[in-house]
Amino acid sequence: MAIQSVMIINKSGGLVYNHNFIEPKGTMNSNDYLILAGTLHSVFAIASQLTPKAVQISNKSSQKTETQVPYIPGIGVSTENKMAPLQLGSFMGPDYFQEPFTNWNKSGLRHMITDEFSMFLFQSLTGIKFVLISTNNFRNNTSVSIAENILRKIYCIYSDYVMKDPFYSLDMPIRSELFDSNLKNLIESL
Amino acid sequence: MSATTGTSKTTSAANATSLASSKTIKQIGETVWKNRTVKINAELFTLTYGSIVSQLCQDYQRDFKKVNDQLFSMGYNIGIRLIEDFLARTAIPRCDNFVTTSEVISKCAFKIFLNITPHVTNWSNTKNSFSLIFDENPLSDFVELPMDASKELWYSNILCGVLKGALEMVQLDCEVYFVSDVLRGNTQTELRVKLNKVLKDEMPAGED
Repeated sequence: MAIQSVMIINKSGGLVYNHNFIEPKGTMNSNDYLILAGTLHSVFAIASQLTPKAVQISNKSSQKTETQVPYIPGIGVSTENKMAPLQLGSFMGPDYFQEPFTNWNKSGLRHMITDEFSMFLFQSLTGIKFVLISTNNFRNNTSVSIAENILRKIYCIYSDYVMKDPFYSLDMPIRSELFDSNLKNLIESL
Repeated sequence: MSATTGTSKTTSAANATSLASSKTIKQIGETVWKNRTVKINAELFTLTYGSIVSQLCQDYQRDFKKVNDQLFSMGYNIGIRLIEDFLARTAIPRCDNFVTTSEVISKCAFKIFLNITPHVTNWSNTKNSFSLIFDENPLSDFVELPMDASKELWYSNILCGVLKGALEMVQLDCEVYFVSDVLRGNTQTELRVKLNKVLKDEMPAGED
């Protein structure tokens, strides 16, 4: 799938990172992106408050439903030249992770489809949101899993190159060349 | 009679589930440490930490209370960032009780970052505070405290800060402090973690 842009929203709803891999058709200035990020943050919170009655009842009676995301191999890592040492920061190859994982975002907004693009959201336990916008309008579950795999890998890159940067102050905009280039490598190898 | 059998059944069932989950927590910790994490020589780490502490002692003119505080706040700043690395690596779900939290800390977090597994003991009756007993502590290898420091300095106090910071970022407000340290002549190194409050208001939306 073609990735249009990646956004990172901090836990108070501010946009800390935005990168367009494909320039969008319309014109949006940086202020518009900030407003978009804030709106997404609020819509996410509102979505988690609105639950269908049937789900509310079944959640009470049965055990908590854990949402598992299957691991999809070969996303963003080169599988061809196995001899070459993989550069995954502090992660040891061949991949960042190789097991299915639980999604922390159980009742918030996860996926949005429009005629032009689709949007995926991933929230970490600490409240940071990663947003991925793809130019295809996917409607099946596999694409959501693929997107969540990509987003967790972006989270891994974030934890390596943003969190371990002594010049970065928490909740501020990310300006890191290493993060940029590693993110670019991941997206380009898709 | 039936009541007693009932309770014994439920406790054994509870034990079984907690054992099963603790096994998986242990397995997660070991796989992540073994296959997913780049390793360096531990002595490099030990000596780097040693030079930080010795520099701090010099800078604060051997006022070890200040050194303790400084180490704690350095650890805090590490912890609030390190939690992201830990979560990105393991992707474990939120702990539903403090017992699970203690297992994740000892079997997963300490395993991945320091390759040790401290024991969890001394639970309080309300299950909101526990102790971590360190059989080995990579921070304090090759260390002997000087006479003037052995009453006041908590050499590995950075660990308290790391735990405090990391737990705070997952909405657990805790108090973390050393109770005893082999470097100070005690029989074991004991670190106490006490849960003050779960910060429900600060939970990110979408988690139930």
